[in-house]
Amino acid sequence: MGEMEELRKEADNLKDQITEARKVVQDTTLQEAVAGTTLVGRVQLKTRKTLRGHLAKIYAMHWGTDTNCSKLCVSASQDGKLIVWDTLTTNKVSAIPLKSSWVMTCAYAPSGNMVACGGLDNMCSIYNLKGKDGNVKVMRELAAHTGYLSCCRFLSDSEIITSSGDCTCVLWDIETGTEKTIFAGHLGDCMSLAVSPDFKMFISGACDFTAKLWDIREASCRQTFSGHESDINAIGFFPNGNAVITGSDDATCKLYDLRADQELITYQDSGIMCGVTSLAPSLSGRLLLAGYDDFNVNIWDMLKAERVGVLAGHDNRVSCIGVSSDGMACCTGSWDSFLKIWN
Amino acid sequence: MSSPDEDEVPAIQTGPKGLINDWRKFKCEDQDTPPSKKELLRQMSNPQSDDIPDRLNRKMSVQEYEMIAEEDEKCLRKNQQQCMKEMHKRLSFGPKFDSVVELDSAEAFLEVIEKAHRLTLVIILIYEDGVKGCEALNSCLDCLATEYTSIKFCHIQTAATGAGERFSDNVLPTILVYKAGKLLGNFLSMTQHLSEEFFATDIEAFLREYGLLLEKEFAACPDEEDGGVEVE
Repeated sequence: MGEMEELRKEADNLKDQITEARKVVQDTTLQEAVAGTTLVGRVQLKTRKTLRGHLAKIYAMHWGTDTNCSKLCVSASQDGKLIVWDTLTTNKVSAIPLKSSWVMTCAYAPSGNMVACGGLDNMCSIYNLKGKDGNVKVMRELAAHTGYLSCCRFLSDSEIITSSGDCTCVLWDIETGTEKTIFAGHLGDCMSLAVSPDFKMFISGACDFTAKLWDIREASCRQTFSGHESDINAIGFFPNGNAVITGSDDATCKLYDLRADQELITYQDSGIMCGVTSLAPSLSGRLLLAGYDDFNVNIWDMLKAERVGVLAGHDNRVSCIGVSSDGMACCTGSWDSFLKIWN
Repeated sequence: MSSPDEDEVPAIQTGPKGLINDWRKFKCEDQDTPPSKKELLRQMSNPQSDDIPDRLNRKMSVQEYEMIAEEDEKCLRKNQQQCMKEMHKRLSFGPKFDSVVELDSAEAFLEVIEKAHRLTLVIILIYEDGVKGCEALNSCLDCLATEYTSIKFCHIQTAATGAGERFSDNVLPTILVYKAGKLLGNFLSMTQHLSEEFFATDIEAFLREYGLLLEKEFAACPDEEDGGVEVE
């Protein structure tokens, strides 16, 4: 029993050291730093387009990133289809029937050549949008996870990262359909992931109430962020890559600074009592759009930590959100099968 | 038996956990699911349940994963349509109104906002006789009030608000939108958003653009096998 005691003491010691180190670099608080900044005015966004075509609840959507694809997005619905939309014309570029209707996530490759999706089938299916005869076909089915696929994000046309209900994240080689790296460490289902702007790292949020920063090439966990009092459902990088934003079942969002290795601020309001399940910062990072479990979206001033607007105010329909890569618009998916483009 | 609007909206509805909940609900309603499995689904839906050993932080149980593997999706389409209808019904449940209410004081104004049912949208027009656009907007609201019966339309003259200085003629008419005591929309000088001549349908379209009016349509029922989505 002596050894266990020793190890426990060592772990506590290390935790204390980490806390001390964090205190040392904390030279100010975010609130103090922005004391002189004026609150952003009330934000009221207008629907510019309505995308009609799905037949059931939209579970996820993702914008294209390439200069050619900044106006394109892909959506996944309970109707068992992935639809790629041209948001300017509202035309459907592709409508892809899926083997499983229980699709939790979808992703658009940066090149615009592929889309991916996954869900209760525990697999990540990759579709080639630029096939020779114009038909969109399954290119690969990445199967190895022993839990549902909660999120997937492309690094390139040959690599994709997935997060799963089996508590791990995996980096895949799409060409061979095999796992390149398994990122294990979370103690609960992994719910969401986001890739850093420089593609060298990614962050994951899980049901163990923590977020982890992983180095992709070194296959290691660099930092772990705690503070949330419940599952982290949504995660994203702050646009400059130096901070991480998380959304949790504890009804708050938090901003963590990577270099200071600590929480900067919490976005909460006593009137909000349901969990956050999706989030997207604006291009500048001044605004945060957070989607909640009651199908509402609150818009936060990220610096002043105050709510400055509600998206789709009366609707209570938003099931997922995403801000386009050029920051020009945001897209919401609803439980009533429509997607809307706002700015 | 509590009335529908008293019922707590099910906790987790969006994101991957929302999907897992939808799946559990679907399997529970599916008559092909054996009762023992239904019991498991109910227990897993209840986060407080202690009946499941080794649950820890896991959101889905091994038995549930096995159920997915053996599934077929025949009943899924019908179930989806049913779910959307139910959501529509739940969100339109609440008190009904039929005309624009005149508010005569700041206290009445505050009371309307604070006392309204949490699902009721409150749209208040601030106007003044003789100011351009006010009369037209008032008639538009009279029209909309008879059509959108779950929305509480009100109007108040600036003199009655007691905050006359704040509502000078050049910001009138102003429309304020509230729900559950919170300001959702604030539109000063409404006429700048509208053309010279405007009608109730223009106000309707405007409010819909800002996500403040319920879209009445929802996706058509897919009776055909593989129907629905056409690629243009």
